Amino acid sequence: MTAPKRWLPFTVKTVLLVLLLLWTLVPIVWMVLSSFKPNSVITANTPRIFFTPTLEHYASLFSGGNSLWPYLMNSLSIAGVSTLIAVVLGCMAGFGLSRIRLKGKKHLAFWIISTRMAPIAAVIVPMYLLFRYLYLLDTYAGLIVAYLSFNLPFAIWLMTAFFDDLPPDLEEAAMIDGATKFQAFRYVVLPLMTPGLVTTAILCFIFAWNDYAFAQTFSGPSTQTIPIAAAQLLTQTGIDWGKLLAIGTVVVCPMAIAGLLVKRWMVQGLTLGAVK
Amino acid sequence: MMAPALFLLALITLIPFFSIIWMSFNDVSLMGGLTFEFSGLDNWQRLFTDPDIRSSWLISLVYFLATVGLEMIIGTAMALLVFSLVRGGNIVISLLLIPMFIAPVIVGLLGRFMLDPSHGLYAWMLSESGLFDGNILGSVGSALIAVILMDVWEWAPLVALIVLAGLASVPGDILEAAEMDGAKYVQKLLYIILPSISNILLVALLIRAMDAIRFFAIIFITTNGGPADSTKIIPIRLYDIAFRFFDLGYAAAVGITMLVFSILVANAFMKMLKRQEKTA
Repeated sequence: MTAPKRWLPFTVKTVLLVLLLLWTLVPIVWMVLSSFKPNSVITANTPRIFFTPTLEHYASLFSGGNSLWPYLMNSLSIAGVSTLIAVVLGCMAGFGLSRIRLKGKKHLAFWIISTRMAPIAAVIVPMYLLFRYLYLLDTYAGLIVAYLSFNLPFAIWLMTAFFDDLPPDLEEAAMIDGATKFQAFRYVVLPLMTPGLVTTAILCFIFAWNDYAFAQTFSGPSTQTIPIAAAQLLTQTGIDWGKLLAIGTVVVCPMAIAGLLVKRWMVQGLTLGAVK
Repeated sequence: MMAPALFLLALITLIPFFSIIWMSFNDVSLMGGLTFEFSGLDNWQRLFTDPDIRSSWLISLVYFLATVGLEMIIGTAMALLVFSLVRGGNIVISLLLIPMFIAPVIVGLLGRFMLDPSHGLYAWMLSESGLFDGNILGSVGSALIAVILMDVWEWAPLVALIVLAGLASVPGDILEAAEMDGAKYVQKLLYIILPSISNILLVALLIRAMDAIRFFAIIFITTNGGPADSTKIIPIRLYDIAFRFFDLGYAAAVGITMLVFSILVANAFMKMLKRQEKTA
């Protein structure tokens, strides 16, 4: 693997790479940087790199009449519970699906994958009607169900792919040694599944945390999530950019860190197990 | 062990599925309580004659081809460059991946911030260099390009990540032999590298194809379909029909056509998986 490394002339490679890095990072860096600028600097006609940093926007997020706390709590609880349910049920189903020999398994798999791929706009319409009928609008339960509609099939599918990678010999050996099926699962299989479980959980959480369309349609005054807080500020006349950029930074940073932590398994996760 | 998950999944997907089909044959009204009035094929007939729907599908097609196409090209370029790095590749790919963890609402927010006509950094750079002066998100043409580029910015990294995983399987000895025979980089790329990652490229393409029609939050938050409907892709149109005009029956019919599209993509994905199992 030494020779093929030198594919491109050094200069071309460097220039292209710098361009791609700039394209990717400039908006993010500019957002984080600007969130520490006073509003007068943010809205100045010429962009400024040097300024006296201020924490006023972050301070304003968590104080005053329209604090971000309730939004943050809503986001954490709704995304957290839907992730927990998806991962627990998805793990059980994934183990079962991976080990079972079933005639219609192909159709079952197709059904699961197509529910994951269903366009959100198309799912929202009937769900809105059902939620209205069942009084689930503006409730945690409603949004949790909405997020499960894509996170549950995702978790089942992904855990199946992770279990497929684990040869059944291990749990069979344990069972020959006298372990029950549950013991073999709990003490032999599950510990080996930690990367799979963590990856699935983090991805489910990110999908739910980042959702806007469902929250916009199904949430009400008591269940609005952080993306809704950002959207509300964005549609006001006279946008408070400082506050908005601070919210952006708060929404983005934890997810970027969490995502990069499981980078090693991310390919498998985001391609639904198609690439190892 | 599978029963609880499959039961719950059936509950939360099949009920909406049959509801949307039933809704598409009804005139659904929310005024003064929920009422259904059977209207036969009215919604469907309208769907195939509505010029607004046709233009939205057309814009969707342009949006779809441009985003997915650019994401494939830029993502593959990113992967090739990172793969060719002797050291530091891990850090570079980590940095390149960040956009895909960002909530689409925040991507839209960033787009509006960078392109703001009075103080946006990119808007400033474009007007100072004389390339574009004016309200980028407020003008027909430039608005569509802008929302396309925002989507590309967020999702090209995913293609990069997938392709990078595939590049590990490019046969090193064949590359080496080609190099000794004096092959140019472009030749190696066209005849060795790309053919050996064609399967992976297909995975990336399908994954992006299904998500390109799933999400619409970036446009929602930046232009909401405007100006003059120039960025009104089909999910945005559907949302308008459903929640601005409250014509839920008609929205259901539009939704079903979108579902058909995603089922076709899912079908292609399954076929590709099967093919991969055979070759593996």
